[in-house]
Amino acid sequence: MKLSNKLFLLLSFFALLSLPACNDDEGPEDPEEVITTLNYSLFTTSGQVVTLSFSDLDGDGGNDPVISGGTLMANTTYIGTADFLNESVTPVEIVTEEIEEEDDEHQLFFIPSSSLNATVTYSDMDDDGNPIGLSSTLVTGEASDGQLTIILRHQPDKAAEGVAAGNIENAGGETDIEVTFDVTIQ
Amino acid sequence: MILSDHISFRLSGLLVLKVVFVLLFFSENIYAQDCSLSLTGKIMDKGTAIPLEFSNVFIEDLGRGAVTDKDGFFEIKNICPADYHLAVSHLGCETVEIFLVIKKDTFINLYLSHHEELLDEVVVHGSKAENTTAVSSTINRATITTESNENIADILESIVGVSVLRNGSGISKPVVHGLFGNRVTILNNGIAQSGQQWGNDHAPEIDPFVADHLSVVKGVSTLAYGGNSLGSLVMVESAPITNDPHLHGETNYTFETNGLGHTINARLEKKNDWAAWRVSGSLKRKGDTHTPDYFLTNTGQRENNIAFQLDKKWNSRWDTEFYYSLFNTEIGVLRGSHIGNLTDLNQAIGQKIPFFTEDNFAYNINPPRQLVNHHLVKVSIKHSLSDHQILKFNYGGQLNQRKEFDIRRGDRSDIPALNLNQFSNFFEVAYDGDFSEHFFLKTGIQFTYVDNGNQSGTGILPLIPNYDAAKTGAYFILKNSNPSKWFYEFGGRYDFKYLSIFTIDNRISRNIIRPTHHFHNYTISGGVKYQPSHDFKSSFNLGYLLRAPEVNELYSAGLHQGVSGIEEGDPNLNSERSLKATLSFDGVVKEKLFFQVLGYFQHVQDFIYLQPQEEFRLTIRGAFPLFIYKQANVNIYGTDVLLKYAPRQNWSLTAKYAIVRGDNLTDDVALINIPSDNISTSFSYIFSDENFLKNTSLSLSGSYFFRQGRITDEQDFLSPPDGYGLIGFQAARDFPLGKNKLKISLKADNLLNTAYRDYLNRLRYFADEPGRNIKLNIRYVF
Repeated sequence: MKLSNKLFLLLSFFALLSLPACNDDEGPEDPEEVITTLNYSLFTTSGQVVTLSFSDLDGDGGNDPVISGGTLMANTTYIGTADFLNESVTPVEIVTEEIEEEDDEHQLFFIPSSSLNATVTYSDMDDDGNPIGLSSTLVTGEASDGQLTIILRHQPDKAAEGVAAGNIENAGGETDIEVTFDVTIQ
Repeated sequence: MILSDHISFRLSGLLVLKVVFVLLFFSENIYAQDCSLSLTGKIMDKGTAIPLEFSNVFIEDLGRGAVTDKDGFFEIKNICPADYHLAVSHLGCETVEIFLVIKKDTFINLYLSHHEELLDEVVVHGSKAENTTAVSSTINRATITTESNENIADILESIVGVSVLRNGSGISKPVVHGLFGNRVTILNNGIAQSGQQWGNDHAPEIDPFVADHLSVVKGVSTLAYGGNSLGSLVMVESAPITNDPHLHGETNYTFETNGLGHTINARLEKKNDWAAWRVSGSLKRKGDTHTPDYFLTNTGQRENNIAFQLDKKWNSRWDTEFYYSLFNTEIGVLRGSHIGNLTDLNQAIGQKIPFFTEDNFAYNINPPRQLVNHHLVKVSIKHSLSDHQILKFNYGGQLNQRKEFDIRRGDRSDIPALNLNQFSNFFEVAYDGDFSEHFFLKTGIQFTYVDNGNQSGTGILPLIPNYDAAKTGAYFILKNSNPSKWFYEFGGRYDFKYLSIFTIDNRISRNIIRPTHHFHNYTISGGVKYQPSHDFKSSFNLGYLLRAPEVNELYSAGLHQGVSGIEEGDPNLNSERSLKATLSFDGVVKEKLFFQVLGYFQHVQDFIYLQPQEEFRLTIRGAFPLFIYKQANVNIYGTDVLLKYAPRQNWSLTAKYAIVRGDNLTDDVALINIPSDNISTSFSYIFSDENFLKNTSLSLSGSYFFRQGRITDEQDFLSPPDGYGLIGFQAARDFPLGKNKLKISLKADNLLNTAYRDYLNRLRYFADEPGRNIKLNIRYVF
């Protein structure tokens, strides 16, 4: 009988261990770290604005994302700013601030397709003097059609060859954002 | 000579593995305190029953012994009635320790394992209930201890027909006959291991050091274990504790050069008046491993394990066993294998050296990493109704806690991205006994309850929903009780499974849904074994099984970060229906050439698998490959071959060859993750001369893995790697230290430091396999 008492105690002990597992009635997880929206706004010195925008409010799967490209003027210099938002919560979370806080761990890459006459250069830098890409300069050439791909990398190797100049090839890290916009230059 | 009462004794549990024994009879000529008793016996090989000449039987307490003749017989005379420790040794066999109470003239039959690769489950257990037509292979304690720095799947890999699915060197799970994960049941001391088996990057949570033997059952008659697969069963078992009233134990230390790994294990056991107990523990620390050319940054591993066992025999009718084990591990995943989307993957694949490779060695483990705790409690009560009838009650409780940490923005890397607790309870009432004059019956009723819950606070939508699963099953197996040349068995099993899911749907409003599922499944199987002589046996098995879909197959939804794909389940999946046949031949030619050949064929209707979709899923993080759980009809078939040539007792040559084929008949393509053909050979030599090399053994091994050439380029991101060959070397020596023993062994894996990649390792996209590794193992047994 003594043994069976001990066994009972042990069984009770393990039943207690199981209590934390019984969380079936909690609500679903609130996803953090979500980025639903990227707005890449391009300003000319005369104050005209073109915004390339990607938004996917319901996250992966579900409804298709809404992607809107833009039309730029030929042979023009634009000042570009990238904004990242989480619009699935109220109030809207401005993820850009989180990236600014960890600017040494993030870098944006701007990759025009070969048919598009445009080049993008960085106009900001982190504390180590490496580019981030939240602010950039876009210069258009002759009229053309193509795509502009914008990639946000988390923990890239900014010191790797070509990375500071905007070449993603040796950057490594994880892609947080990768979106492609149709762009027309006329 | 009169056949009198039985003395039953148990071998020292430490070394039990190598021994089954016992058939004792005694003559009644007792002269009190008369020192004229004799101990006689016969020593044979456990796998083949061949008598072992020149075995040494040594009574440690007397300091004298005898050597067996060519028929395996020995005799030691002039013994006083007392308790004795016996050491039995033979060239090439692990020394066996026996505690024996001698009161009268005693005869013992003893089995040593001279041919470890030929052992099977039946030989290991040696009881009537264990006789089976299933085919199995076993690894014994000596090998397990020398390899205890490895993961359990890596040790099992030495069994022909077993491959290993890896996610780097730290995470590995066994593949038996082409199947793994949900389809391979792992029995941890008789209890089906319950954790997150669905993940290809989730290794079984078991410390190999607790095991006295590891077996893989490859037949189909495994109904008693409610397996999800036909006969692909891995058994991890500890032996009964010694009957020796003195404290015994062993300690074991391994150092490995690749990863600068240290593993310390210890085990103690004793039989007290009240009960017999055993306690064992392991500590493992390992840093970054190294390929021939660079470090694999963040591939360290830590493990702290403990196990406790208590056996109590109340009387001749009642036995109880209590077992508890705790497994704790922290494993780093190669930093350069952590990627975002498909673009990242393609870029990582193109790298000669993985991203984030550091120039220096480190023990640190950073995200991505896994942290796993696994508790297991087993209570077993055995009641003998009569000499031929046993009633057993078993309870198994398991708590599995898995946390996976990813590289995340902000300070979230210390918040688990996946945090799952699974609590499972297993109850069983089983009966073994004579059913009729001709049949022996094994039957039982089992109940399993699983509560699987995501722990809140991860900030990530879970891939696997919360669920409760209840399963009730009943089985019976009938075996013929007086096997002659023919032995046959057949049986059936029925399972009712109830699944209650708690999850959210995929609409923007994220509604909570609570679907439920019911599955009625059954299994039938039968087998026949023909053994005309000691030198030959053949078995044939046939089985039909229904397997209910698991939760991940029904309800996965989202990004599986470990494999960088979006996985979606299908709640409308049916049970898999599978028919499997196996045919095996085992034999010995002139006591020199041993062979084991096994062929199998399995047809599965509605085989559930992850089908890569042609279109990628576009998200704000870029495109991800999309995998959906689908069903198809498949054939899986193959052959395992083992040959051993041992012309003399001091050298032998072994060759193993395994082929598996998997065909998806519905889509007319090969199945993915099927092991490539592989062959391995080894030559071992033992110095028998009485010179300074006495007790030294050497072995040289070579293996070749062919390229998996059946996968088309469309089926994978990267075509399967080239075939590769590896060479290994091992030297071991025993140093007797009085009653205790010291064994030192030196082993080199990948001796030539070959750079290669393996098809079944997910890290093949990113990095080479580890290079040369030299391991020093010191084992002290007392």
